[in-house]
Amino acid sequence: MSALANVRASLARIEATDTRVNAFTDVLAERALARAAQLDAGATPAAAGPLAGVPFAVKNLFDLEGLPTLAGSKIEREAATARRDAVLVRRLEAAGAVCVGALNMDEYAYGFTTENTHEGPTRNPHDLARIAGGSSGGSAAAVAAGHVPLTLGSDTNGSIRVPSSLCGVFGLKPTYGRLPRTGSYPFVASLDHLGPFARSVRDLAVAYDVMQGADADDPAQVPRPVEPTRPRLDRGSESLRIGVLGGWFRRMALPEATAAVDRMAAALGTDRVVEWPEVERARAAAFLISNAEGATLHLPDLKRRAADFEPLSRDRFLAGALLPAAWMVQAQRVRHWFAREVAKSFESVDVLLAPATPCVAPEIGTEWLEIAGQRLPARASMGLLTQPVSCIGLPVVTVPRWHTNPALPHLPIGVQVIAAPWREDLALRVAYALECQAVTHAPVAML
Amino acid sequence: MPVDYEALVDAQSALLGLAIAPEHRPGVLRYLQLAAGMATLVMEHPLTPQDESGSVFVPVSPATPSAGPGEGGAA
Repeated sequence: MSALANVRASLARIEATDTRVNAFTDVLAERALARAAQLDAGATPAAAGPLAGVPFAVKNLFDLEGLPTLAGSKIEREAATARRDAVLVRRLEAAGAVCVGALNMDEYAYGFTTENTHEGPTRNPHDLARIAGGSSGGSAAAVAAGHVPLTLGSDTNGSIRVPSSLCGVFGLKPTYGRLPRTGSYPFVASLDHLGPFARSVRDLAVAYDVMQGADADDPAQVPRPVEPTRPRLDRGSESLRIGVLGGWFRRMALPEATAAVDRMAAALGTDRVVEWPEVERARAAAFLISNAEGATLHLPDLKRRAADFEPLSRDRFLAGALLPAAWMVQAQRVRHWFAREVAKSFESVDVLLAPATPCVAPEIGTEWLEIAGQRLPARASMGLLTQPVSCIGLPVVTVPRWHTNPALPHLPIGVQVIAAPWREDLALRVAYALECQAVTHAPVAML
Repeated sequence: MPVDYEALVDAQSALLGLAIAPEHRPGVLRYLQLAAGMATLVMEHPLTPQDESGSVFVPVSPATPSAGPGEGGAA
């Protein structure tokens, strides 16, 4: 198909179904059609790129030239428009992809549900009464709805992995410091990652590969060579040492989540259980770092116009501004201690599996969940199993599994495929092996 | 000794110049207590003086060096 045909099909699907899903906050039809026409005319080197003519969209915290970068907020509607696209948007377009719009999210990325009061909630394409997850809910929903085959999101505490899990798509959170965040709106600089969503592992790998490379304007980016993953995808999982995370990752998951992990583990031929120490403290460290750093970022607006913030996260931001400094400093030290402990586990395994969310997608508006005999706040608890992993920046591919809850067989749940730092290649390889065995797949929702 | 969260909110918000509206106060108190529970978990964790922060500073070089290697007195 031509780029123009792809983009037209994407725009038609968005127009036909997004009034129900609410994934998009801006559709850039004119820009996308012009870009596609250029590609079809062969007027740009991108026409020969590996993503030539592929429509994509981005969480609205990525800069897009001519739009204010909303980051899910009402406040940023008053901000100056972006003068150029974010670095990762430019890299995807240099590889031939065509940006068709910006996507809904939790305000300032502080949430796991995309119940955005300003824009309305993004609905799960597989069950419109349920959440899409967050904070990159629009990014996962747009892929699941068949609007676009590729999107970008961000993940600070689980914001790629949670919506991937609940919407049944593949997501990659690379190692902390791998992809440059230049031109994106931050949440917690100490923990922010950017990464892609797609309907196949191969698409994830191709997109990830073209986005690698140094950018001097992200101070957290670690100098690394470009390490292509696509050529290594089909090396299989047989030679890899694979384990399942026990302890916290079993206790804080409902049977539908552990069943998904067990099915993947069986397909990979492993029953080895690995336990990380003090996972709950690592999660607490991530909570405190996020709360304090995020609040400090928004302190000027919290002082001037707190009433304009998202009601679901405003009071959390306000509280975060009040935390004693000792908590924050200790949280960063515990984080480093935990990273060193976990590194020891990767001396004897290559890849670890864990549930991405404790359960399948709850209904929109759900306040409480029952997990491990405790009544827990639903919105915060969707990140129970992702926060300890992003806290130490490990690369993770989230792969969906279906039919694990007999009462809700139409809903997916994700499994985190976790590797040691800088080994995105191994996580993608195992995810691809699972896909080849048909243990995981990401169908377009019937809408 | 029980913590007086009301007093903590008053003191910290005054220090920061962050007014907490009455309608936001119950939520702020709830989240502050949630954070305090998280803080107990991290503060109780034993660490040594050698356990460094997970937040690492990277020095920033000028985009355009003022002198080449061995010139300009730079070490």
